[in-house]
Amino acid sequence: MVTPDLSVSLGGVRVKNPVLSASGTFGYGLEFLPFYDISRLGAVVVKGLSLAPTSGNPPGRIVETAAGMLNAIGLQNIGVERFIGDVVPRLEDVGATFVANIYGKTVEEYEALARRLSEVSSLGAIEVNASCPNVREGGMAFGATPEGIAGLTGRVRGCTAKPLWVKLSPNVTDIAVIARAAEEGGADAVSLINTIVGMAVDHRSRRPELSNVTGGLSGPAIKPVALRMTWEAAKAVRIPVIGIGGIQSAADALEFLLVGASAVQVGTANFRNPRACVDILEGMEAFFREERIAALADYRGGLTLEKRP
Amino acid sequence: MPIDRTRFLSARIVRNEGRGEIFYRIEAIIPEPVRFVPGQFAMVSGWPGNDPLLPRPLAVFRSGGTKGKGKIEFVYKVVGRGTALLSGLHPGETLSITLPLGRGFDLEQEGRSYWLVGGGVGFSSVFPAAAVLGRRRARFEMFLGARTREHLPPKEWTPGGKEPGRIHLCTEDGTAGYHGRVTDAVLERMEGLSQESIERLVILACGPREMLREIAAAASRRSVMAQVALENHMACGFGVCWGCVVTLWDGDRTAYRRVCREGPVFDAREVVW
Repeated sequence: MVTPDLSVSLGGVRVKNPVLSASGTFGYGLEFLPFYDISRLGAVVVKGLSLAPTSGNPPGRIVETAAGMLNAIGLQNIGVERFIGDVVPRLEDVGATFVANIYGKTVEEYEALARRLSEVSSLGAIEVNASCPNVREGGMAFGATPEGIAGLTGRVRGCTAKPLWVKLSPNVTDIAVIARAAEEGGADAVSLINTIVGMAVDHRSRRPELSNVTGGLSGPAIKPVALRMTWEAAKAVRIPVIGIGGIQSAADALEFLLVGASAVQVGTANFRNPRACVDILEGMEAFFREERIAALADYRGGLTLEKRP
Repeated sequence: MPIDRTRFLSARIVRNEGRGEIFYRIEAIIPEPVRFVPGQFAMVSGWPGNDPLLPRPLAVFRSGGTKGKGKIEFVYKVVGRGTALLSGLHPGETLSITLPLGRGFDLEQEGRSYWLVGGGVGFSSVFPAAAVLGRRRARFEMFLGARTREHLPPKEWTPGGKEPGRIHLCTEDGTAGYHGRVTDAVLERMEGLSQESIERLVILACGPREMLREIAAAASRRSVMAQVALENHMACGFGVCWGCVVTLWDGDRTAYRRVCREGPVFDAREVVW
């Protein structure tokens, strides 16, 4: 039996398969080494990095909701220098393709991060986080308007020759317009969706469940929204679209590929099953073999809208 | 090879029994016995579907078995939807378990005597410590607190239960043992200790946060070393979601540390109560 060719180009970086980890759910990748060889993944997208280490939001950061969860972590991270000094050499040793997700409070911080990370020759791509709902400045503040996205993307583009991905927020009126703005700003790919802003309160204590009051909803609960937005974005742009949102199984991942995603990122599923990414990859390989599909390209974007006979 | 590093496993349930509608004890078969430090925990799920989504953190209660056939046990209390679904699982069904996780109690101190304090279901963390100390013939006493007699752990679950002199039962309604909160029993007994005994003492505690806070304060006043096992909501259990942080002292500043990774057992002096 021929092994299906699952490789795909994601805006200048060729990955061996379309299963990636989603930023913020995979630590720095190394945490998953007890469970499997992370170099098997298309790419590891690490937790959002800021210039300086960031302490994040006060406790009361997560709450479970129906078929999902809300988080308001606030991008706690070790900062770009420790990432480059301590983590990058170990990711290189493991042989993983890795992508740095970056987050700044100002455009200048994004620029400085992109410049610094461009010096890391082994880095596969930079993913601009223009969509975190849990920080007051930066993040979603840039991602909410086409002007904001185009402006930020253009400025970061000017600082790096690395493949540049822009991670989009679903908390917008028209995702197609936002995706096009990223493309026009010079993005090599867009990834979507980040979490949907939500809220949970305790009716007895009369208090919000999260210290930040609102948080980002993730998990299977958001998959239909993510799938629709991925479909809309894929129709709107020529650059690759990376689908994210509630993917738990190979079937879920295949649905995103079918509506036009070039690859997927698996997020919250990693919390429940540390092997989620490889389980999905193996399931996808099995599906292509069973269906005798030789290459990912033969399946991707193959959604048919014609009525059933 | 016993399991001593974190793994994600499937386990076949062989027993899942409730006691007095309060505590459940679940036992499952795994590929190898687990070598764990008391206070370490596991992330456990097994109900079908995506709702609730996340596994539940449970202290590792016991593990044994032989090469090629391990056994793992957890004790839990039904507190919400996840544990209610867990209580409905039957022998033959499958659990998904990630273990062992976190940093457990430090039991390696020479020449010390230990007080193990368990409030409510907190006994599930301190019984494993008692088992280790008992095997080592170390000196220890156990304080177990509950609202009523029915809320105390069943006697046959108690390690070393044949030497009851070392166990102080406390109930808030006075239906068994000391009439009052376990915290007060600990504090009163600490009052009566000589300076020599105080210097040898190490307290290990797991239970409601208020209990831990008061024990930590009393221990601090008399310079007794105390280790507390904290709980929190967590999504992953192995350090990647950053959802379970608590506030700790870091010099004269504070920092957020993960219960799942840097904990769940912390030096009580480090915790910002």
